[in-house]
Amino acid sequence: MLTVCPYFHVHQPYRVKRYRVFDIGNDEHYFNDDSQTDLNNRKIVEKVAEKSYRPTNRILKDLLDTHPEFRFNLSFSGTVLDQFEAYAPDVLQSFQELVATGRVEILADTYHHSLAFFYSLPEFERQVNKHRERIESLFGVTPRVFRNTELSYRNDLAKWCEDNGYLGIMAEGWDKYLGWRSPNFLYRPAGCSSIKVLLKNYKLSDDIAFRFGNREWAGWPLQADTYANWIHAHHGDGQTVNLFMDYESFGEHQWEDTGIFNFLRALPETVLRRKDTSFKTATETVQSYDVIGEYDVPDVLTWADTDRDLTAWVGNDIQQDAIAATYRLETDVMATEDMQLIETWRKLQTSDHFYYMCTKWSNDGDVHAYFSPYQSPYDAYIAFMNALSDLQLRVKKATDATVVETVSEVTATPAAVLNGIRVLPEEDSILELLKKLFASVRRKISRVISS
Amino acid sequence: MKVLTFGWEFPPSKNGGLGVACYGLTRELLEAGVEVVFVLPRSQKTLGNAKFLFAEFGELVSVRHTDITLEPYLQSDSKVEVFVGYTPDGRPMYVSRSILEEVHRFAHQASIIAKQEQFDVIHAHDWTSYLAGVAAKKASGKPLILHVHATSFDQAGGMNVDPAVYRIETEAFAFADQVVTVSGYTKNMIIEHHHVPETKVSVVHNGCDTHEPPRLQPTLAELKAQGRKIVLYHGRISIQKGVDYFVKAARRVVDADPTVVFVISGWGDMLQQVIEQVGAMRLSEHVRFAGALWEEERDRMYQSVDLVVMPSVSEPFGLVPLEAMLHGTPSLISKQSGVSEVLTHVLKVDFWDTEEMANQILASLRYPVMRSQLVKEGKQQLAGLSWRSAAEKIKAIYQRLLQYAT
Repeated sequence: MLTVCPYFHVHQPYRVKRYRVFDIGNDEHYFNDDSQTDLNNRKIVEKVAEKSYRPTNRILKDLLDTHPEFRFNLSFSGTVLDQFEAYAPDVLQSFQELVATGRVEILADTYHHSLAFFYSLPEFERQVNKHRERIESLFGVTPRVFRNTELSYRNDLAKWCEDNGYLGIMAEGWDKYLGWRSPNFLYRPAGCSSIKVLLKNYKLSDDIAFRFGNREWAGWPLQADTYANWIHAHHGDGQTVNLFMDYESFGEHQWEDTGIFNFLRALPETVLRRKDTSFKTATETVQSYDVIGEYDVPDVLTWADTDRDLTAWVGNDIQQDAIAATYRLETDVMATEDMQLIETWRKLQTSDHFYYMCTKWSNDGDVHAYFSPYQSPYDAYIAFMNALSDLQLRVKKATDATVVETVSEVTATPAAVLNGIRVLPEEDSILELLKKLFASVRRKISRVISS
Repeated sequence: MKVLTFGWEFPPSKNGGLGVACYGLTRELLEAGVEVVFVLPRSQKTLGNAKFLFAEFGELVSVRHTDITLEPYLQSDSKVEVFVGYTPDGRPMYVSRSILEEVHRFAHQASIIAKQEQFDVIHAHDWTSYLAGVAAKKASGKPLILHVHATSFDQAGGMNVDPAVYRIETEAFAFADQVVTVSGYTKNMIIEHHHVPETKVSVVHNGCDTHEPPRLQPTLAELKAQGRKIVLYHGRISIQKGVDYFVKAARRVVDADPTVVFVISGWGDMLQQVIEQVGAMRLSEHVRFAGALWEEERDRMYQSVDLVVMPSVSEPFGLVPLEAMLHGTPSLISKQSGVSEVLTHVLKVDFWDTEEMANQILASLRYPVMRSQLVKEGKQQLAGLSWRSAAEKIKAIYQRLLQYAT
């Protein structure tokens, strides 16, 4: 028996507009570009909906209707769900219809497509919870298998998932950690006792995601028959072929004229043609197979580049500076308890912002290796840091305002107390009340000072 | 392989990029085994120093001098004083001539030299040498390469193009076997304006020297001590260089942050206009004119400022950001420059977008991590932009032109 476990990752960030130094303190809207450029979030979602989400979902729905054995997984960032709701509600509905078949599983994720696990565990946990609640309310299902932003993974993340009740977690099946072993089995993360890790078969995944339309590639043009044969070849040396890729591979990264839609349409039938081959969701996969060994990943592993690490996001000085500045704001922004400020801060945590600042390989002139809506990594950094500077000001203002409010509360108290009370209270109880108020003021002032 | 080269200036002459480029290319061509005869108009400055610079290659290079003295970057009708000899009582005698006359005299000399010298290929740098190159080709029948360091369209900032220079360019390009431009930017310009067929034009980006310069005693110490940030313009002060846009951006910057100081270092025909503009925009307290800085003084300035801006309206290549980077200071450069094709680690802006120019100036001053990364990663990139690789491309062009020569 060999099963295929596909997962398509659906995501769009809130790109920061060309936010200038002069805008700091004057403009609270960072994500509302309305130009014709690729910084216009609404325009991008509408464009990708037309090129990818709508046609692909139509095909996927047909496939589910035609092939009762067909199954796959989806993962969504909260930021893409929010944008579907605002700019393309029909797309969200078509995803809901897919999930309603019961054969499409949704994976757990961070709400804001962030790298929070590596910077702030409490914030990571808040985002995972927020994501779960959002998935439950939109789709009526609770995720049981975890995938982290950019497929980033480390032993301690697997441990966290195990401790929090997840059955499985996804990771890159990388040679450095696999050695001679195959990604087509389940493994036990080092330091864990029950959770299983599903490893991406990067060869077969990237044949679709990266190479499909590349005419220089020896495999071009790739036919579904050929591809199914490559999958079938793993009979006997594997149990599950895990195909992990961006959902936008269909129609956006690989355009319709590459034949990607016809390929997708034909794939389940060609895979199922061999009798002992089928599809499984992630949960079915972890429940069907035992682990055959340990997967020990002490350093961060991702699905990016040939380095398979975080250097595309935090490899250079400006990236490290920007992400550190973002997480330094955590205590203060959380203390404001202002949901709008907190949400804005979280939108700035989305990993794409840091990716746009990447300068890897740019010395070789290979600037196109990284897609970015900005003209240069430095433009991306400037827009981001300016927006973050404005947020810092707003957080400081909110914190200061809370202090002022509390102080005036304290001054107002004797009057309120006198108004409400007919009998002179005991001195002790007045003192007690004032002590509490002063303690609260102290806490808030100390936060202001420390920021 | 032997090349007869015509050029206008040679280090350590202080006229800017052309001489530096001629020196860098010649040095590396010699290294690559190409024999170079470099013909220069007569100039005391160039005469003594050129020999000094080539001392180590004395057996290979002979510097020839014609009897012409010219200043580059002049309009064709500019007058120049030319030394022609001595009066009977021993006083030097000068004649005032137009640059166009000088260019033709240079061409006349070139034709004589071309008959005397043995060589395989002719290489002429900049418009003032084009006619010399053409004359040498006519005299010898050898293939001709014209090397475009700038065009009449750059010099004029796109307006009031000198028709005489434009005519020389167009006719010489038509006569050349190959035209080399210092950037894709300039290649597009001569395809568009001079109608040169695209296949006849090769891009050879200028190189740069990448030795680590010594750290010098800082300048503008009193400003630094006050914690003020300093932004530098360094270069000729002419329409082509966009200094007026730099001043407009300065106004916007100072409105947002009055502690920023702007330094303008250079000399040129627009200096008076820029000084008046600074006054009219009430920027006198924020803009300092440093005069023309050369050598160590220039390097001290590069090392002491926080950001260098090259706001050129039209820049065929642009050495300033490379020099600044070498001295550890990042640059903001106009997109209308050839050097922006080869540099990733600089800030880039359209010269006319002074609002964005001001934004990027302020941002670079606010975020020191970005400034240090621009320099750190920029220096790594500089290592790949050597005169050696430029000379290799030139040598390949010589070889291509000579492949059927007998």
